[in-house]
Amino acid sequence: MLEVAHLTVAYGGVVALNDVSFSVPEGAITAVLGANGAGKTTLVRTISGLVRPRHGSVLLDGAELVGRSPESIARLRVAHVPEGHGIVSELSVDENLRLGGLWRRDRAEQRVAVDEAYALFPPLAARRRGPASGLSGGERQMLSIGRALAARPAVLLLDEPSLGLATRLLAQIMERLGSLVAERKLSVLLIEQNARSALSVAGQAVVLSLGRVVVIDEAHRLAGDEALRHAYLGF
Amino acid sequence: MRAFLIYTVDGVTNGMVYAAVALALVMIWRATRIINYAQGAMAMFTTYIAFFVIEHGTPFWLGFVIALAAGLALGAVTERVLVRPVESRPALSAVILTLGLLIFLEALAPMLFGAQVQSFPAPFSRIDLTAGGTQLYFSRFDIFTVGSVLCVMVLLFVLFQRTTIGLRMRAAAFNPEIARILGIRVGRMLTLGWALAALLGALAGLLAAPVLFLYPTNMDEVLVFGFTGAIIGGLESPVGAVVGALGVGLALSYVSGFLGSDLAPLGSLLILMAVLMIRPRGLFGMTRQRQV
Repeated sequence: MLEVAHLTVAYGGVVALNDVSFSVPEGAITAVLGANGAGKTTLVRTISGLVRPRHGSVLLDGAELVGRSPESIARLRVAHVPEGHGIVSELSVDENLRLGGLWRRDRAEQRVAVDEAYALFPPLAARRRGPASGLSGGERQMLSIGRALAARPAVLLLDEPSLGLATRLLAQIMERLGSLVAERKLSVLLIEQNARSALSVAGQAVVLSLGRVVVIDEAHRLAGDEALRHAYLGF
Repeated sequence: MRAFLIYTVDGVTNGMVYAAVALALVMIWRATRIINYAQGAMAMFTTYIAFFVIEHGTPFWLGFVIALAAGLALGAVTERVLVRPVESRPALSAVILTLGLLIFLEALAPMLFGAQVQSFPAPFSRIDLTAGGTQLYFSRFDIFTVGSVLCVMVLLFVLFQRTTIGLRMRAAAFNPEIARILGIRVGRMLTLGWALAALLGALAGLLAAPVLFLYPTNMDEVLVFGFTGAIIGGLESPVGAVVGALGVGLALSYVSGFLGSDLAPLGSLLILMAVLMIRPRGLFGMTRQRQV
């Protein structure tokens, strides 16, 4: 379980996150929703160690993540799929996938994990040797998620996976992810601007507005609450 | 014809030494986006270390290996001590620090080893070989120079393209932030990159010294010629750097052979200007803009 407590982040004088607390249970997807500038990306970047918070803590099964480097947080099995895919476009598809689990050193295990990613996202297998820069937007997203899963994470941080994706493709990716979540007891934090699609797969949802948590509730209840939807989610 | 062949062999041999320096510059440029102006001085310094231990009774090849190891260490230390602290500053800070290191090493060397010009032993004969009574145009030392640089290049290629440590190093160089969130210790990869580049430089120093003699500024011209080669190759491309440096070696050899050796540095300048005017990204350059 991932627990975020009293997290405050500021860039210079601008407060991006203000006393944010919530937890991400195992085996379920927790959606973080909110408008542009609500602090969603700052939140995942802080959890993965790329941003240092001013106050607060992030605990993974009781171990403090704040203060650790991004590389050591990754080695505690926190995988981050950054906004805009974050593939290394100079490398091949296969090399990108291999990068995911490289730190684990067990070669045979790594190969199995990479093959699983190909099985999960068959379009990638066809382009194995090709440069990652040649992939379409959807394939890049598959590559980025596949690479994160190849690290066999305990926590998966997904930053705006819907960005630039066709709805049907997104639904496919989410469906595959959904079955993995239960099977592997993954804790998933799904950052989305596209609230409707996120609420359809998430167990619970956290709504951020201007860096503060305004609502934490079960996803289906939030989806059913018209007033809340209008106020914060724009649908 | 005979003269042409002699100059060609000379050009290729010198060009391989420039290529080693050019490749070292490209490796550091790709990994940290700075030009290491101290590359030549570092090579001079490690060659002095070889000279010193050989003078004190160490066998030649052991001295050779000691100099290469010293190159690895000097590269790693430079990255950790000079470059890392200014990592988040504009690239110019680190570039100026490498200029400082150049001046420092060229001042330190005469204090430690004396300022006089020393002759540095060649590991193999520099007299041209003969085959069945026919005079050939290259010596065993020429073969060793070309062969050892090629060998190190192939080893580096295999390391970068075929091993997981190489994959990590490439990821760290291409996209440090993504590499970090994938658990790659980017700092270590950069240190290793600097160390390997300095190893290549140290080899160039050991190969240049028997020809140029050993003195505190003996590698200055080699750095300029290697840099010219790297720029011609586009600074991003290892293959381009090697091709560019070989081109510089050949051009300089022809210019000094046919037109007089005083004109050689001018020849290098002319090639550089021509490339920068006709194709500013270099012959192998891609679209990315160059800085500094």
